[in-house]
Amino acid sequence: MRGTLRWARADLRARPSQALLTLGVVAGVVAALVLSTMLLQGAVNPWQQLFARTHGADVLIYFQNGTNTSELSSLPGVRQVGRPYEAASATLEQGPVQSPVELRGMTPVPPAMSTPLIVAGTWLRSSEQDGAVIEASFAAAVHVGVGDKIVVDGIDGTSVPMRVIGIADTADQGFYPQWTPGLIWVQHGLLTAVEPHQSETQEVVGLRLDDASTVATGQVVQTIWNLYNGPTENSAVLRYSTWQQVQNSMASNDRLLGLLLALFGVIALVAAPCAIANVTAGSVLMQRQDIGMLKALGFTPGQVVGMLLAEQTALGAAGAGFGLVAARIMTSSAFVRPPDGTPVGLAPLSGSWVALIGGGAVLTVAIATIIPAWRAGQVSPVAAVQPTPPRGHLSLIARLGLLVRLPPALVLGARDSLTRRLPSALTVVGLAIPMAMITIALICWSTIDGFTRDPGRIGLAAAVTVTPGGGLDTARTLNLISHDHQVLAYYPGAEFDTLLPGDNGTFIARAVGYSSRPYPFQTVQGRMFDAPNEAVAGQGFLTLMHIGVGAWISPTIDGVPVILHIVGRTIEPDNNGDVLDFGLDALSDAGGGGPQLFYALVLKPGVSPAAARATLLAASRDELDVQLVANPADGLEVVKVVIVVAVAVLAVIGLANLLTAAAVGQRDHLHEVGVLKALGLTPRQVTATLVVNTTILTAIGVASGTVAGLVIAPRLINMQGQTSGIGSGIAASLPAATVVEILAIALAIATTAALFLARRTTRMSDSAHLRSPNRPSPPRRHALDNVNSLRTR
Amino acid sequence: MRQPLLALLAKEPAHGYELKLALEATFGQAYPSPNIGQIYVTLKRLEQDGLVCSQDVEQTTRPNKRVYELTPAGREALRAWVEEPSDGPRIRDEFFIKLILAPMAGIADRIALMNAQRRHYLGLMRKLTDLQADADRADTAARLLIEGAVLHLQADLDWLERCQEELV
Amino acid sequence: MSRSERYLPCLPGGADTACLLRARQLVKVYRADGVAVEALRGIDLDLAVGEFVAIMGPSGSGKSTLLHVLGGLEPATTGEIWLRGRRVDGLSRSGWAILRRRHVGFVFQFFNLLSNMTVADNVELPALLAGASPRQARKRREELLAELGIADKAGAAPARLSGGEQQRVALARALANEPSLLLADEPTGNLDSSNTRDVLRLLRRVHDGGQAILMVTHDARVASLADRVINLFDGMVADDATIVPLPRSLNGVGDVLELRG
Repeated sequence: MRGTLRWARADLRARPSQALLTLGVVAGVVAALVLSTMLLQGAVNPWQQLFARTHGADVLIYFQNGTNTSELSSLPGVRQVGRPYEAASATLEQGPVQSPVELRGMTPVPPAMSTPLIVAGTWLRSSEQDGAVIEASFAAAVHVGVGDKIVVDGIDGTSVPMRVIGIADTADQGFYPQWTPGLIWVQHGLLTAVEPHQSETQEVVGLRLDDASTVATGQVVQTIWNLYNGPTENSAVLRYSTWQQVQNSMASNDRLLGLLLALFGVIALVAAPCAIANVTAGSVLMQRQDIGMLKALGFTPGQVVGMLLAEQTALGAAGAGFGLVAARIMTSSAFVRPPDGTPVGLAPLSGSWVALIGGGAVLTVAIATIIPAWRAGQVSPVAAVQPTPPRGHLSLIARLGLLVRLPPALVLGARDSLTRRLPSALTVVGLAIPMAMITIALICWSTIDGFTRDPGRIGLAAAVTVTPGGGLDTARTLNLISHDHQVLAYYPGAEFDTLLPGDNGTFIARAVGYSSRPYPFQTVQGRMFDAPNEAVAGQGFLTLMHIGVGAWISPTIDGVPVILHIVGRTIEPDNNGDVLDFGLDALSDAGGGGPQLFYALVLKPGVSPAAARATLLAASRDELDVQLVANPADGLEVVKVVIVVAVAVLAVIGLANLLTAAAVGQRDHLHEVGVLKALGLTPRQVTATLVVNTTILTAIGVASGTVAGLVIAPRLINMQGQTSGIGSGIAASLPAATVVEILAIALAIATTAALFLARRTTRMSDSAHLRSPNRPSPPRRHALDNVNSLRTR
Repeated sequence: MRQPLLALLAKEPAHGYELKLALEATFGQAYPSPNIGQIYVTLKRLEQDGLVCSQDVEQTTRPNKRVYELTPAGREALRAWVEEPSDGPRIRDEFFIKLILAPMAGIADRIALMNAQRRHYLGLMRKLTDLQADADRADTAARLLIEGAVLHLQADLDWLERCQEELV
Repeated sequence: MSRSERYLPCLPGGADTACLLRARQLVKVYRADGVAVEALRGIDLDLAVGEFVAIMGPSGSGKSTLLHVLGGLEPATTGEIWLRGRRVDGLSRSGWAILRRRHVGFVFQFFNLLSNMTVADNVELPALLAGASPRQARKRREELLAELGIADKAGAAPARLSGGEQQRVALARALANEPSLLLADEPTGNLDSSNTRDVLRLLRRVHDGGQAILMVTHDARVASLADRVINLFDGMVADDATIVPLPRSLNGVGDVLELRG
């Protein structure tokens, strides 16, 4: 044991760069994993962080006003009872649009439980009695910002103007519109103005429980229900919500994020062990003789394996520790909020996640070390004292190369990379895997970027929809639209929630445009409909119905039975792809009535949807209902951050592999270099030989990795598209120029690193290469062979 | 014995006993101690060959002594001897003759012959290394002589190895 | 009385305690590219406690292989090996490793110091491996280095030492656990004559200290120090002879050598 420790200590001291490499790779991977997990977890499940940051309530109970709630605190399982707040139902009036609202009466001092988390503006102030703070997702849905004036109507019709002074997040309820009503916090005076009858208001009490598990929460709720709603008609508990309901509501069903999380897990699982195995295998290769000597001195094979395993695992643990600290520092102040207003906070990961990532990284290091360590255990003690026979020979190709008088440096370098098989394979694989991962990450980026830059590609040609309403009839609406110079084209349409045959779910039947002039759907399979009895569908719909393109279906849409021939599949980001599209004439031919129309507006290139919306609203004096079309990519901005982090870490891993390979090569080459120089190759030729060697391997590794990435990425993304209902065909490809750029950059970095190392090797004094009593030098002989064959050419 | 005496006389004239002492001082242990009669016989022969000449010197308390001096012919002979190249020891080797002839005669087999010779060489080597260990460090001539003998012996052993490889 | 007479002959049967090392019918066959090469072809060998035996023979005669097999660096193909009265040829690699720690020291032609470790660490490692406390290991190392005249090199890296110094460190490392058997493979093969003399002096001291030495060498000077010289030829023992120095009566150099007059 002591001997082992002594050796490990000496080893670390003798080769600090190797140790730092392992440390850096592990730290980088761990930090990237923590960061990605936090970001993606935040995107997939924002509730956890909101709950923690707002000191949320486990259960919210709505009581009839005047109920005596003092008994709550003595109930079994209840740990803490929040201050009761007055709440009133109301309506937010915005022209023709009315949104349901819950007003909650608050004081300028924010509550200790369920503290709203201000993300813009300020909390309520006594100096601004007409101030209101709006829940963030609601504010985003109704397009209200800080400083806007809003009007809230009470149930009896009283209109009360308010001024938005703040926007806040809360874990009390889910995001609007999945969760209604929208939430507005106001001061008591304002609440009374909207709802003067105190009997119409409710009292909201938040509870924190000793045990917040689903079962325990249910029991507490049941107890309260039984206690207050007894057998009498008089029900004091009006309704309640639990944290589980809120969490479910907030949980994103965006499986793309889930896939990305898995993808980066795979990257970590494949690339990191590869890099670590490479580093360890490299150090074993470099230390064969010393390890043989250790065994001659009396180290058992088990001790050698244990020693390497312990050394690398300790390095891995240290690296994981550094990584966790680095991630902590990087995220301590950051708070990322994508433009659509979905809160994606960065809350510290739970202990189990940290343990999983840290422990997983250390375990990975250990597993990656096992094979090289086992090999080291098998090293014969005789290896210490017997030179290994020369490896490799001049291949036919090399001889041919010399015959046609290629530069010797090129031939020798190439020969070396092709005959030293194990180190060469390590180098190639070590570069190919990170390179493939980088390519996949970049294609993900390119795909997401394509969603934003060209929404038409995913079937979102229209950026704005307009619904006539209020004082504007269809003719005037049409008039407004057709005269707006920002609008390129418009398509009338209607949407119906329609029952699936067998009554086991619904899908959206959507009529947009006419069969003679259809909406520009993105058809990826089959063709666009061009007859009234034809339709196209999203992948989700086809999967639900277990049908393919070419099938005939007969749904009942808006009460009218229709027979449709599905002639194509579209990219369909809405409603998990459970959408059937056809022309308006299909309905009218079948005898359908005139449903409420909307207009899908395709804007001219370069026009921002928000600007177009503002123009239309102004032109109609706020009478039109103008909605921006949600783009699924908006929620994926966070993924771009993850991709940048991942690419950086992968680049580090690739570089680490390259440096390891170069270091191993350098050891093997030291003797050779001296001989080559002694035989008359100029230092420049020697450097060129070494650089050619590394560059050829890099080129093979980088090229094969990129090709693998280009092949795998679209499959992965399309697989994801298919399962999420959007449908395959969404993956963007990398432009050829970008691919060439990536290859060039990778090769340039590799060649620079190789040049640096080769120059160092070449510059070492000649005698150092040739006089090496400690190392009988195997390569010397075949170096001589080569040069002899150069001469006898 | 002739050439060493000529060389010593080239330095300065001397009588027989002086020459014995000079020989011992020059070669130390490396040279077997010469007996005085042998020196006188050799000097007489040199004088007959005209390489040295001599004259009696009277002494008061002791008998006359004869002092020898180098003649020009003697100086010439000395120069010729120094300039003539010397053969190494392994020009004709008795062991080699035995090794080749013994199996023919059916007297001994070669392996036994070589083993016996090797044992002899190693015994000799042990003696030399012991002598080397005991040798007076100041006695340069003796040390160099031993060193040379050791190297010759090593060569003999190497050569024995070659014989073994070729003949067995 | 010649030196070899101090040793009792090894008695038949492996369990003889006066016999430190005994090998019977050792065979080692290497297989390379389907061709079997017999490196050792039935070697018998006895080494008494404290005996100094040299192994000579032309290159390729199996000298180094014999040493490796006897030290367990590689397994014998067939044959028996007894060390300190115990049969050891069936030991696993781990078993051999543990045996080497305490009882067998190795010295090689190319010194084979652990390049990552300082001189002090190289010498202390075997002691630590055998379970000595760091303090004991340091004490032993200081003694050994002082004895070998390189106490001032303790903190140096092996690569900075001369060949002679490196071989002295290797010797110190081999002797760290006072093994009863020292196996040396051409220990002077890479040294000039003055360093060779120094190493020989040290080996003689080790021998006088009662440790047995089995040494492969090409150098007759080195071999002549041994009590016995075994000559290997083509994987077999060609000769096994006690060295008999010339009679005592021959004293001065002049008696041993005859200048051609």
